Amino acid sequence: MTQSPTLSRRSASAPAQPRKSRRRGADARAGYTFLLPWLLGFIALTVGPMISSLYLSFTNYNLFDAPKWIGFDNYVSLFQDERFLQSVGVTMQYVVFGTPLKLAAALAIAMLLNSKRKGQGFYRSAFYAPSLIGASVSIAIVWKAMFGDSGPVDQGLSFFGINLGGWVGNPNMTMGMMILLTVWQFGAPMVIFLAGLKQIPADLYEAASMDGAGPVRKFMNITWPMLSPVIFFNLLMETIHAFQIFASAYIISNGEGGPAGSTLFYTLYLYLRGFSDFRMGYASAMAWLLVIVVGIITLIFFKTSKSWVHYSGDAK
Amino acid sequence: MIDRRKFLGTVALGTASAAFLAACGQSSSPAQTGSAEKPVTLNYSWWGNDDRAERTRKAIALFESKNPDIKVAGNFTDFGGYWPKRATEAAGGGLPDVMQFDLSYLRDYGQRNQLLDLGTVKINTDAFDKSLLPSGQIRGKTYGIPTSTNTFAVYYDPAKLASLGIAEPDGTWNYKEFNAFLAEVGAKGNGTLFGSSDYTGVWWMFNIWLRQNNIQAFTEDGKLGFSKDDLKKWWNLTADLRGTGAIISEERVTQLLPKSPFASNSTVAEVNWDNFMAGYLSDSGAKELKLVPVPSDDPDNLGLFLKPTMLMSASAKTKYKDQAGRFIDFMVNDPEVGQIFKTSRGLPASKTQRDGTTFEGTDKLVVDYGASVEKYLKDAPEPPIVGFGTLEASFKRVASDVNYGKLTVDGAVDTWFKEAEDLIKQNA
Repeated sequence: MTQSPTLSRRSASAPAQPRKSRRRGADARAGYTFLLPWLLGFIALTVGPMISSLYLSFTNYNLFDAPKWIGFDNYVSLFQDERFLQSVGVTMQYVVFGTPLKLAAALAIAMLLNSKRKGQGFYRSAFYAPSLIGASVSIAIVWKAMFGDSGPVDQGLSFFGINLGGWVGNPNMTMGMMILLTVWQFGAPMVIFLAGLKQIPADLYEAASMDGAGPVRKFMNITWPMLSPVIFFNLLMETIHAFQIFASAYIISNGEGGPAGSTLFYTLYLYLRGFSDFRMGYASAMAWLLVIVVGIITLIFFKTSKSWVHYSGDAK
Repeated sequence: MIDRRKFLGTVALGTASAAFLAACGQSSSPAQTGSAEKPVTLNYSWWGNDDRAERTRKAIALFESKNPDIKVAGNFTDFGGYWPKRATEAAGGGLPDVMQFDLSYLRDYGQRNQLLDLGTVKINTDAFDKSLLPSGQIRGKTYGIPTSTNTFAVYYDPAKLASLGIAEPDGTWNYKEFNAFLAEVGAKGNGTLFGSSDYTGVWWMFNIWLRQNNIQAFTEDGKLGFSKDDLKKWWNLTADLRGTGAIISEERVTQLLPKSPFASNSTVAEVNWDNFMAGYLSDSGAKELKLVPVPSDDPDNLGLFLKPTMLMSASAKTKYKDQAGRFIDFMVNDPEVGQIFKTSRGLPASKTQRDGTTFEGTDKLVVDYGASVEKYLKDAPEPPIVGFGTLEASFKRVASDVNYGKLTVDGAVDTWFKEAEDLIKQNA
């Protein structure tokens, strides 16, 4: 009786409430019950391994013997490892050039598909199709064949008098090839851009036309600011995705990051360290460093976003 | 990465518990033996190409017909992809019951208690050359049974040489003469046919060169037995050939992967183990390929040796030890298996199998080559150190960076030594 004077008082004044909160409790229980399978999976397959990898990153662990605690040694030796630094360089190149290009392509095509035209539904599906299959192993294999010696790309360029040879074996061309592959998979951000474009009120454009604004002006002063939250979202997601590139690089370079280390992406080197060289502790340290760096970059994005992202209802 | 490891662990656990439950269900018969009605299934993993896939399929079918109580589920990849898979499985406790194994990785797994001591199961090794068995043994335990032996050779394609108007080599050559041969092919090949890939990027060729110069690759205590200067000298051997037609460019080599330039008809010669004959023939479609000894500056010391081509091993955690033993015994001893594989795994190590195999045509070439260099064969080198597979791979990678012009020879030597010393320290 002593435990809940507030409760009894409340029940006295508002008899409907406890029933409601009891129902809310039941709702919550049902909610958690339905959530349980996912929650268990999340804890067992994501949180658990992450915690153990954090521990492993401070150890020397070869997969077979018990891990040996070595403190920050893995993190220190990372920065003396030339291949690690190379993998950082390769990945940064890919993120810095690939992501903006991909977003530009996605936005440009979204704008084309936004206009009212016959058969737009078909075009939208057709342009989205590469993204459905883009991340698959088979596309990486096709890509490899296309850009190989005497492949369609080589032959097509030769027709115009450009003789570059195969791209796959040329360390100066592989990055271009990888970036083209990601740009080609513009579908996901494109769909989001398209949805964003549809939200922009048409009367804004009408008013601008009346005032004599051209297409560039309309884009700079209406489309860009109105779309900026969507652009921000896409930029963030695609940057994070770009850091995680693995499968296509693994396939195209036969799992070695070659030629001459030109496709030695961060995650690929991490994989090689862990599973080819049996240095799981080192690989775990790399994984955590990546988490931290991506976290910092996300933070920077959010900080700078205030100056260029406009949400409707903002005073600015 | 860790997700996957855990995941596999979970899967392995799940499978194991399912198997356990299944075993409990049929209490009338013990879990460890199968019968013709209820055969047990052995998982068998191996590396190879399509040619070996077909031969292995036949051998497995033969085994199953003779052993109706055992089914064998085969699974193969190429050599490069083979080891990361095994590492993942080992971490999850789910190595296949029986595996093809390579000398380079035997220590990594054997010394870390991942492999079954084959001394505890019944495998007949009476027909084996006694000097060969120790290569599968570590600290008195047998972790692998050699299926066969191979030795190093220079391959060449006589038809291509004839088309260029170049005489066939007789294999008595030093490095200068070998280089001159490659240069001549390069000059006449006109940018479409090349001498070979850079032979200095092949670890075993380097190892043979060291032996020719009476240097041990690894010391007894698992350190490097050669100096930076030795490696510099070695990588400088082809310094004048790089970038010419004598050596196929690394760009092309990469494009042709996973086939080698020789197997894809881009070069006239290649150094490799003599059991690659069958694979080369099937990959290249050439009518005939020939073998000659490797070059040496000392005609009395070719540095050659017999190496177990591959070993058969079993997982320490297999539930079917006896069946695994029977399968291994069959694969290494059965004469009919010898007939199926011929020399594609090398020369059968077991005399029973060797005598039961008829060698004709190109297989006879391989056998004859082995016989012709027999007097030069010395003891096999010390079993490689832990982590040797990584060293071998990085040797190839660093040498390829030299061919790409990304590293000078001096820089390459420093890079490789740093990696090697780091690895040796790591595994000490």
